[in-house]
Amino acid sequence: MAHLFEKIQRYSTALQMTPLGIALLLFLIGPIIVILITSFWKFNGFLTIPDFTVRNYVKLFTSGLTLDNYLETIRIAAIVWITTTVLGFIIAYYLVFDVLSLKAKMLLFLLCVVPFWTSGVIRMIAWIPFLGKEGVINRVLMSIGITDEPLEFLLFSEFAVILSYVHVFTLFMVAPLFNTMARIDPALIEAARDNGAKGWQILLHVIIPLCKPGIAIGTIFVLSLTLSDFTAVRLLSGANVGTVALSISNQIGSYNFAYSSANSLFLLIVLLLIVGGIMRLVDVRKQL
Amino acid sequence: MSVSKRKKTNSVSRRTVLKGTAAAAGVGAAATLGGFPTVWAQDLKDITIRQLGLAVSNMDPFAKMATDALGFTVEQTAVDLGTVGNRGITQPKSFDLLEPAYMQFKFVWPTGNFQPVDVNRLSEWDKVSGIYKESGKGWDDAWLGDGQRPNSVMYVDGAGSDFKAPGSTDQVAAMPILHNADTLGIRPDEIGRPISSWGELLNDEFNGKTALVGFPAIGGMDAAMALEALGLVSYADKGNMTKAEIDATFKQLIEWKKKGHFRALWTTFNESVNLMLSGEVVIQSMWSPAVTAVRAKGIPCVYQDLKEGYRSWSLALMIPKHVEGKKLDATYDYLNWYLSGPAGAFFAKQGYYVVTPENTKKELSPEEWDFWYEGKAAATEIRDPFGNLLEKAGAIRDGGSYKNRMGRVAVWNSVMAENEYLTEKWNEFVAS
Amino acid sequence: MSVGRMKRSNWFYFRTVIFYAFLLFLYGPIAVMGVLSFQGETGGLTFPMRGASVHWFADVFNPSYIGDFRWPWGRSVILALIIMFLTMTISFLAGLAFRKGFRGNTFFFYLVVASLIAPSILISLGIGRMFTSLEMQSAWWSGALGAHLTWTLPFGVLIMLAIFSRFDPRTEEAARDLGATTWQTLKSVIIPITLPGLVGVALFGFTLSYDEYARTSQVSGEYNTLPLELVSVTGTASTPALYAIGTMTTIFSLLVIGISFLSLFIIQKRRSGASIGIKES
Repeated sequence: MAHLFEKIQRYSTALQMTPLGIALLLFLIGPIIVILITSFWKFNGFLTIPDFTVRNYVKLFTSGLTLDNYLETIRIAAIVWITTTVLGFIIAYYLVFDVLSLKAKMLLFLLCVVPFWTSGVIRMIAWIPFLGKEGVINRVLMSIGITDEPLEFLLFSEFAVILSYVHVFTLFMVAPLFNTMARIDPALIEAARDNGAKGWQILLHVIIPLCKPGIAIGTIFVLSLTLSDFTAVRLLSGANVGTVALSISNQIGSYNFAYSSANSLFLLIVLLLIVGGIMRLVDVRKQL
Repeated sequence: MSVSKRKKTNSVSRRTVLKGTAAAAGVGAAATLGGFPTVWAQDLKDITIRQLGLAVSNMDPFAKMATDALGFTVEQTAVDLGTVGNRGITQPKSFDLLEPAYMQFKFVWPTGNFQPVDVNRLSEWDKVSGIYKESGKGWDDAWLGDGQRPNSVMYVDGAGSDFKAPGSTDQVAAMPILHNADTLGIRPDEIGRPISSWGELLNDEFNGKTALVGFPAIGGMDAAMALEALGLVSYADKGNMTKAEIDATFKQLIEWKKKGHFRALWTTFNESVNLMLSGEVVIQSMWSPAVTAVRAKGIPCVYQDLKEGYRSWSLALMIPKHVEGKKLDATYDYLNWYLSGPAGAFFAKQGYYVVTPENTKKELSPEEWDFWYEGKAAATEIRDPFGNLLEKAGAIRDGGSYKNRMGRVAVWNSVMAENEYLTEKWNEFVAS
Repeated sequence: MSVGRMKRSNWFYFRTVIFYAFLLFLYGPIAVMGVLSFQGETGGLTFPMRGASVHWFADVFNPSYIGDFRWPWGRSVILALIIMFLTMTISFLAGLAFRKGFRGNTFFFYLVVASLIAPSILISLGIGRMFTSLEMQSAWWSGALGAHLTWTLPFGVLIMLAIFSRFDPRTEEAARDLGATTWQTLKSVIIPITLPGLVGVALFGFTLSYDEYARTSQVSGEYNTLPLELVSVTGTASTPALYAIGTMTTIFSLLVIGISFLSLFIIQKRRSGASIGIKES
């Protein structure tokens, strides 16, 4: 074994990268090529037929629906992003700077992670008994007299979808922020204070700039998760919200593989542009 | 040879007879003997048939019943309707028998992934409802219904062929198994007055308390039933709308939605049940077993008979090309068993109908037959196939008799010629 | 940490309240699920409770019309274990390569990021259509396995990059100066030091795969994985058995996690004192 290993060592880098290369070639690049090809095929209303037509793209870029879907998706993503960033920052800050013992830090962090071992689908469905007209929240609100009529916007609405996103995705912001904050040298903060900086000045001029990479990584997680999801939209919006991913999923549902290919490829490009922009602003890799 | 006995005059091509001879002889013998399993079953006992379909008709107790009756194994997997079609189109080898709805035939059949069913090998074919024959009706005064009638997407000549005139060939794309009629489900306790028209779905009184089925074509047709009843839009054929009709329909729907009229669009059985159970809605598109499920929880719910009639659906079994030899023989045994009665009784007690009512009658008690098919008051307690009490003596089935439902089909679940346009409009409706 | 010593301002209490409110928010739905899984025999998926029973737990093991969960569950566990192993191995190897740097490493890095952000529905549709066009049959152990890898590998590789970037190269040099072969260095230095990270990768791999729905939806083939089965059942069965399954799978995951942490703890204990080169985990 050891001898073999020395031999392998000569080509080590190539060999070490091979499994990753094969996996991504087979299951990322391969499918994207297939999708690219399919996006030029024709759908005759019932069957997807090999062809070369740009009809799918023409439809994609001229349909008012595409714009509506993207506007709705971007609005939801923006709200989710702002909420998870603010929440994630406060939580990470609390864990890093307010909780003193390492054991307590770990324990509390673990507590944040535990809910993720529950099925995501069931976690989403479990919101329904919470938010419904006769759900927990409405019962409480009505019994303490805050409202006479049940609040309907809680369920089958954009609100419900955003709530479930914040519920699931905040941790994807907390983890990288926790990571970067933990690396901030306390001496820096001390120095700033010694120079007379106030609490908010330290936050604004020392901590937040140093947290940029964490925010960047968290943003990549949160945005790509939000823009790809269609399950929460389907289960919690009562199909009252039209996002891009839901539209794609509906097009697959009506067996229009050509148009859904074009549509999902465009979504990938939009995501790549957003993430490319983020990575241009912050050198994520350097900060890992 | 027994096959010739059931052969319609000069309608069997020589090729079909030759190809099917050996197996048909066996099945024919079985039919003549009038019982299953036959001697042939012994050869077939190692065979497993994997059926893929909807949860309403694919469940362990039913698969077990079939397995016990046939002597080979029937395995059933339940998925949602969209997946049934998707698997039929993209992964035809992942099952031995597909159970699509007729409204999916135009997607699934032209792929060429499936072989036609030879009606000469179907022992119970002559007892199959006229809905699937040339006339398209179960009996003379039955309504034909708008849209894509099952018999219009049934008759074929060869795998993947175009659909031929009803009754013109001996091959069908799939063997019909089940049908029923859908209408609106209501909460009588919350509404407190009689409901008799589809138009009530779009009544301001129920603002924020209605739901629509979320499949574009079906939801569109339910909306069309309501809009037509209110005289807001008129249709030449609700099951095959023109672009102008689709525009008019969705213009209305979007206005209603902007007023907050629809609480939700549901896409699964369970969602529709929970919407009713949790008091979210009081009137909505609904399937019959969903109404039963709501009532089982002690909440009053009625499957409302409406003067404009019903929106009907039907399911069928389609055989993929890879099934051949003994497995194909076993498949035909299963198809014949399906229509022979026991399955009919099993599904009747859950509220839907196998397409051979005569055979179902043989397997039901007279009281059950009267309740489920004749629309009469229950003479005894009515139980589901698992022995759970459904109705006490004296209860009357909502929706009335079989004839009242399947004889008053206003529109069949359809995929329209303008399906792509309709889907796009539907997505606009959702996004609005 | 000196920052902690600063005067506890109102902001500190604000942050504390936010944190615990967030925990409450996180656990709310799970608590509801837990409570409703003990729903009485006639109860439904939503409140009110109609009595209390363990009826629905029994129902899971007595499949009638809700389908049989045991097989999909088993499949998901096996798949998650395979994914866990593959993700650990592939990410570790890639981490070693990235650390040395090689021509095209930037391209690979961006490819990994692309894999992370690729919409799940595109991956699922793409792999599904790839199998169809090759006239092959996708199954949970082939197409779905690949779909899961596109999701777990980016996390694995990014974690390994982070681990290796904090790995002090001098440790390795020291080992080599003392005459250790590459193999020995790997076995006695690199692997032990990166072990906590590797366990992290394993946990990520297992969890992400075990709960994956969207990427699996088009490619699972003949047999469902647990999340697919659950989605299918949420559509058809209106019984609290669903919550009972949720409760049981949660307990199961907690056991898995507990065991991994415990074993990690034991390994760490044994090695205590040998904490070399690692700055902070």
